[in-house]
Amino acid sequence: MTDRNNSPKRPREEDGEDEFNGPPRKRSASRSPPANGSPTYRIAERPRRYSHEDSPNEPTYYRNRSRSRSKSLSRGDSVSRSTSGRRSRSPPPTPPPPKPTKLHYRPTMILRGHKKAVSAVKFSPDGKWIASCSADCTVKIWDAQTGRLEHTLEGHLAGISTIAWSPDSRILASGSDDKSIRLWDVSTGLAHPTPFIGHHNYVYSIAFSPKGNMLVSGSYDEAVFLWDVRAARVMRSLPAHSDPVGGVDFVRDGTLNVSCSHDGLIRIWDTATGQCLRTLVHEDNAPVTSVIFSPNGKYVLAWTLDSSVRLWNYIEGKGKCVKTYQGHINKTYSLSGAFGTYGSDPPHEYAFVASGSENGDLIFWDVSSKNVLQRIENGHSDAVLSVDTHPTEKLVVSGGLDKTVRVWRDTTKPPQAAAEIIAVEAVTNGYDPDVLPPNPFGDI
Amino acid sequence: MNLSLIDPFVLAQDCPEVITGRLRSGHSTSIRFSHRGDLLASGRHDGIVVVFDIETNGVARKLRGHTRQIQSLSWSTNDRYLLSAGQDWKCVLWDLKDGSRVRTVRFEAAIFIAELHPQDHMKFAAALFEDQPVLVDMSADTPVKHTLPTIPRRPPMERENVSEKQAAQDAKQTTTVTLFTPSGDHIIAGTNKGWLNIIDANTYEMKYSFRVGNNILVLIRLTQSGRNMVLNSSDRIVRTIPLPDFSDPKLDFDALQLEVEHKFQDLVQRLSWNHVTFSSSGDYVAASTWMNHHIYVWERGQGSLVKILEGTREELSVVEWHPFRPFVAAVGVDSGRVWLWSILQPQRWSALAPDFVEVEENVEYIEREDEFDIQPIEEIHKRRLDQEDEEVDVLTVEPIKTTAQFAVGDFRMPVLLDIEASDSEDEVVAIGAGQFRRRSPGAGREWMNEEAGAGANGTATPPVNGTKRRRAG
Repeated sequence: MTDRNNSPKRPREEDGEDEFNGPPRKRSASRSPPANGSPTYRIAERPRRYSHEDSPNEPTYYRNRSRSRSKSLSRGDSVSRSTSGRRSRSPPPTPPPPKPTKLHYRPTMILRGHKKAVSAVKFSPDGKWIASCSADCTVKIWDAQTGRLEHTLEGHLAGISTIAWSPDSRILASGSDDKSIRLWDVSTGLAHPTPFIGHHNYVYSIAFSPKGNMLVSGSYDEAVFLWDVRAARVMRSLPAHSDPVGGVDFVRDGTLNVSCSHDGLIRIWDTATGQCLRTLVHEDNAPVTSVIFSPNGKYVLAWTLDSSVRLWNYIEGKGKCVKTYQGHINKTYSLSGAFGTYGSDPPHEYAFVASGSENGDLIFWDVSSKNVLQRIENGHSDAVLSVDTHPTEKLVVSGGLDKTVRVWRDTTKPPQAAAEIIAVEAVTNGYDPDVLPPNPFGDI
Repeated sequence: MNLSLIDPFVLAQDCPEVITGRLRSGHSTSIRFSHRGDLLASGRHDGIVVVFDIETNGVARKLRGHTRQIQSLSWSTNDRYLLSAGQDWKCVLWDLKDGSRVRTVRFEAAIFIAELHPQDHMKFAAALFEDQPVLVDMSADTPVKHTLPTIPRRPPMERENVSEKQAAQDAKQTTTVTLFTPSGDHIIAGTNKGWLNIIDANTYEMKYSFRVGNNILVLIRLTQSGRNMVLNSSDRIVRTIPLPDFSDPKLDFDALQLEVEHKFQDLVQRLSWNHVTFSSSGDYVAASTWMNHHIYVWERGQGSLVKILEGTREELSVVEWHPFRPFVAAVGVDSGRVWLWSILQPQRWSALAPDFVEVEENVEYIEREDEFDIQPIEEIHKRRLDQEDEEVDVLTVEPIKTTAQFAVGDFRMPVLLDIEASDSEDEVVAIGAGQFRRRSPGAGREWMNEEAGAGANGTATPPVNGTKRRRAG
């Protein structure tokens, strides 16, 4: 797969170009069969993010495997690393200093405590906390360094699909299947008395504006709402989509929002006027379940249920898909991920895309070359629903259907040394920090 | 970030057109935009200062401390501090981070206007009613007031043979408006006899005077660069005057000649103007009209009237132009509402789907040769992926010039979640299901009685004494 860049198909590029920018009728014609064929099917197939618990085909086999795996984790992991090393062997042209071709994220913590699947995990903007939300109707806040459980936020009446930190890390917002959005004071762990009520169906995705004064939410009721956070009222309702809205995000200066939906559209909105400024559609029209802006706000990254993550340049022309990242499995759940950085300081800093997979893997792609920098095989014992990267450190957190939150740290050590390090793995049950074995990566 | 996606024709418009909204919190009497343009401070008739968030049109902060109507407002350059001058004869410097009163300065006279120093938020200049204008230094706990001169500086030969009568007249002059130049080195002041004075802000020395007319100068405003000035005078003429660069050390005040560039007036109706403001770029001048419902907008290139903003059913007092957007806010005199004018952006239908194109007239579609060729899906996928070979940079942030950007470490307005609950200006309060009663007078105004609380800031009584002593001496 990573060899596609060097594919011998290059000479036919021009044909492909025409195909890609195909005229309107072609696109609608080609997409109509799947669109007509399965709207209801699609929704049924991808129910709420965490409902895997109830699904009858949940194999106990997974749990067994996970237990056995965690015993022999050191071995299994070193194997996975070496395979991932082989996989990404075609290196991009090396500028000085050489661009790393591999990442070495290793498990540092397993945070247990959620009673049902974990639907989203997020680092706080100040990097101190990890928030995780779950189908068990709770949000948990963990210390990002020690893994200590700081708060369990209870109050929602149904499973929680999404969380968002306010920019000052003092407030956490959560969106739930009880149709409400709640704000929580992170220092006290108490809910703000007035929930945001207005959505007619499950809240799927929320995001704070960079100033923290606005919140955008996307819901199963197909609407996108802009909220005035101070007054807890809907400021603007965006007539967004004709299918459940999967993801929403704010751009870094707050002037744009993005929303995506199961109807296959990604729309860019002007925050100030509420007008749609751009619509991005891929020819295959696969349901889009999650979308984020790039750190510099010039691209959007979207997860689709055809096992692809696509990077769109929404500014140029009518918007164009510039990268497709593949190699993970994503056909049922709303996976979400994040951008991370690797390499050294800014002139030689590179970006990667982190995503989970429904087979329990975590995958990191280089943004430009699309090479897999690391695949953590069986990082979770079940689908990995959410991945987030630390704002400053080389840390990744993931949460999944196996009810755990896992923290991974990049080890810059050479691979041969990593084998010994991994022998002591820090595992915490999330309740008792004193039981934590010494963390070998704490000072890296 | 949104600018690259917006219709360039909309972006090219730089003058607001229609009412796009209104803000309401009590009865507003005075407004001022923050420098970054995301906040609008509104001083109310009951002495409360309300800070609106322009993005949400909601209240971001309420500041309680004045007992009477707010006369003027001024923001510090970093937008963290706000100076309010009230008709209770005091000025309060607020820290918007926590809503506290940093300093309270009392005067022995009513205040026309108080303007913060652009570099140092602990200094401000104030014009007082029938009193000398002052420059107040609040850096110490006890504010120090420096009296500024009012008597115009006349040319040397005139200075020598000043008649008795003229000297008496000069002594009767009072300053009605003061403000700082952008560097903060000079204070521009206007008097009730139509003199425009330029005062050195460090030596308090009169550097230059210029007679604009015979009538009271009501308001002076500068463009952001400080190179243009607009004057509102009670003779029903709005004047614009280009200014030299006062921060230039080679500037010779004795040789300085100011000239009026434009005189805007309504010759037919003889309208007088309540308040004037420059547009963000300085290309337009807007003025609200006395006993009338309109805002006149002139452009400075030709000096012609380009637009009359209307739509309210009331007279407008203070009018303010947003620091960088075509966006005007004005206070309704009767209702106390803040009216907002801006540009309506039509939805572009082509944005709703990538295959939509906006065309002037029908176009015959010509299909491509291979448009309906059937190709294997695998082939298409592979080709598409192969094309994705460009380098993408998702990290580098490109600076945006037009809008005021937040730098790291800049002050950000905290988001208060209980702001609506603290709303006490509503005249009716709910006392049960469907039952309301009028708020008892004085309820929710406990802050009025906390004069001792102001003393905690170390400013309650000493300045009053200080002023008295000085005047007695």
